[in-house]
Amino acid sequence: MFAEQGDNRSRIKSICIYSVLTVCCIVFGYIETLIPTALIAPGIKLGLANSVALMLIIFGDIKGAVLVNTARILLSAVLFGSLFSLLFSLCAGTASVAVCILVAKSKSVSAVGISIAGAVTHNTVQTAIAFFVLNKGVLFYLPILIISAIISGFVIAVISILVSKKLKSILSF
Amino acid sequence: MILKLKKGDIIVIIVAVCLFVFSVSLCFLLKKSGKQVRVYENNKLIFEGSLFSDTEIKLSHNLVAIKNGKVYMKKSDCKNQICVKTGMIENSRECIVCLPNKVIIEVE
Repeated sequence: MFAEQGDNRSRIKSICIYSVLTVCCIVFGYIETLIPTALIAPGIKLGLANSVALMLIIFGDIKGAVLVNTARILLSAVLFGSLFSLLFSLCAGTASVAVCILVAKSKSVSAVGISIAGAVTHNTVQTAIAFFVLNKGVLFYLPILIISAIISGFVIAVISILVSKKLKSILSF
Repeated sequence: MILKLKKGDIIVIIVAVCLFVFSVSLCFLLKKSGKQVRVYENNKLIFEGSLFSDTEIKLSHNLVAIKNGKVYMKKSDCKNQICVKTGMIENSRECIVCLPNKVIIEVE
């Protein structure tokens, strides 16, 4: 009886936390547009929303990372995007989280490595899709995207390490 | 110090940098220089010709020159002179635009 209640409680808690984190992701997507990274090169953004998935991976909650990331992509596509943008972000987002999880399995990688691997995968997959769907010219944009992924991946890793220290007590299941 | 880089992180960064170098070299390999030059004025095609035959094209406000496989805006009476400052172009999909005089030069 008590155990069942406890199970229910932790389920409710995790549902709440995942929904709050998903909403955080979507709000981060808006905050990102306020940072003028597009001035450096068009199409580049920080990827603040990824810090949430990264944090969950740091905590070892792989199921949560996949859940929150997929929910974020679907919701932001429904709210702001189109079917076309959904294709792009779903492929790239899923691939990058998969790579993050694979890299995180190795014990000798910290959040910095996980984040950079995910960011580079995201940009490379997106360029690859654009290469096949749109036109061949986007290939010339790949070097800029990769170098920006390394930098933004590093920044996001630092942010999520800092935030995860504060949230450790709340997010432990 | 909050950041402790581990061995795996260094490997990830090295792989990412390798990917960067690979993509840069891919770009250089696939870079094609253009062949055709098209000059538009007021959205009308005024001139179309090879990049490798040196000529000068006189427009109502501009002077376009093709020389040594490169094309550039030699003269323009516009105020900002952005088209002249763009310099020489030679690669596919590059263009020079003179907005005040509605002139577009593109290489393909």
